[in-house]
Amino acid sequence: MILTGLLCGALLGFVMQRGRFCLTGGFRDMYLTKDNRMFYALLIAISIQSVGVYALIQMDLIKFSAGAFPWVSTIIGSFVFGIGIILAGGCATGTWYRAGEGLIGSWIALFGYMAMAAMMKTGALVPVNNSLKDYTAPHNSIADTFGISVWPFIALLVIITLWVVIRTLRKPKVAIPSMKAKRKGLNHLLFEKRWHPFFTAVLVGLVALLAWPLSEATGRNSGLGITTPSANILQYLVTGDDDKFINWGVFLVLGIFLGSFIAAKGSREFRFRAPDAKTAVSSFIGGILMGFGASWAGGCSIGNGLVMTAMMTWQGWVSLVFMILGTWTASYFVFVRPRTKAKRQASAATAAATA
Amino acid sequence: MQKKLAVVGMVCPFPLIEAKQEMETLQSGDELVIDFDCTQATEAIPRWAAEAGHSVTNFEQIDDASWTITVQKK
Repeated sequence: MILTGLLCGALLGFVMQRGRFCLTGGFRDMYLTKDNRMFYALLIAISIQSVGVYALIQMDLIKFSAGAFPWVSTIIGSFVFGIGIILAGGCATGTWYRAGEGLIGSWIALFGYMAMAAMMKTGALVPVNNSLKDYTAPHNSIADTFGISVWPFIALLVIITLWVVIRTLRKPKVAIPSMKAKRKGLNHLLFEKRWHPFFTAVLVGLVALLAWPLSEATGRNSGLGITTPSANILQYLVTGDDDKFINWGVFLVLGIFLGSFIAAKGSREFRFRAPDAKTAVSSFIGGILMGFGASWAGGCSIGNGLVMTAMMTWQGWVSLVFMILGTWTASYFVFVRPRTKAKRQASAATAAATA
Repeated sequence: MQKKLAVVGMVCPFPLIEAKQEMETLQSGDELVIDFDCTQATEAIPRWAAEAGHSVTNFEQIDDASWTITVQKK
């Protein structure tokens, strides 16, 4: 049963690799190029999952309890996580699927991420991890705070999503040049054709929904999750305790790697690519910040940004906001400031030369 | 005039950032040949070219995970 995790992860890895589903890039581009497409795609995936999971809950097929909302650690953790994913060049899932494409830099980031998450969850940093957990708000579920049903909130989300999606699709299109198709039929559709981000988002939403019953069947009552399972791999490897650390989630993240590898190999996009020293260091620091932030925040861009948002919790939406703010802050220092600085120096040099 | 920009080994979004920067130094009608190996750029670079109004005169995969695209400045 636990192996359904591998299948679910492989589907997710495949879809994300082929659809170029990158939340880090999406959040970054909201700021750098004022492009919100990937954010809207995320809203689609959240909406689909939300409607689906709450329908399953309504039918008593799965159970979910939001618990309390550790708001301080969620805010700080998410912000740190946002900084980390810019340095790492991909969020937790993005790093897993880029690792499957053969990017050694992502392997380095992944190692930092796993190690830090494991230290925070069961290692030397447990006191740090727990230090802010006392600052909690009693209700994590947004509906519980207002004392009403969750459905009006889901309806609101679906309406907003439909509105932004329709508005985006109606915009006049520019023809984006593509490579000449070399394959036919299913082979072309699966391994060559460019997927529209909104189409990819629908598939991601469906996989996220599928994760709930599959995971629940193994006694793990939640949807997609990346951080804890990633830590679990390392925890298992160093303790050998499979009862405690091997679960559906572990197979899920391994599946992402596998699915992405299959997708990349099939489309001739797999190759071992080594980073230069600067990128390697940045990836490692990014990975560490990711592991630290995601542990504090109780989730990464998938656990909080895609799943807890769909469950209509404060943790999910507050985390999403601060994660995005974190990516914008890091983007300023990594992409914007070096360029304006270089420009200023260049114009100063020409001014000096002509003076 | 044709200029070559080798951004092989650079991770996203740097190939695109470099390409934009290089483009500013070119004259209208000049071509920029960009060789890259970051998968996301197969989407990001042609998209940028189209939206900025430049034309793409060549775009092909050379090998496993390596591509070349030629963008002509508008």
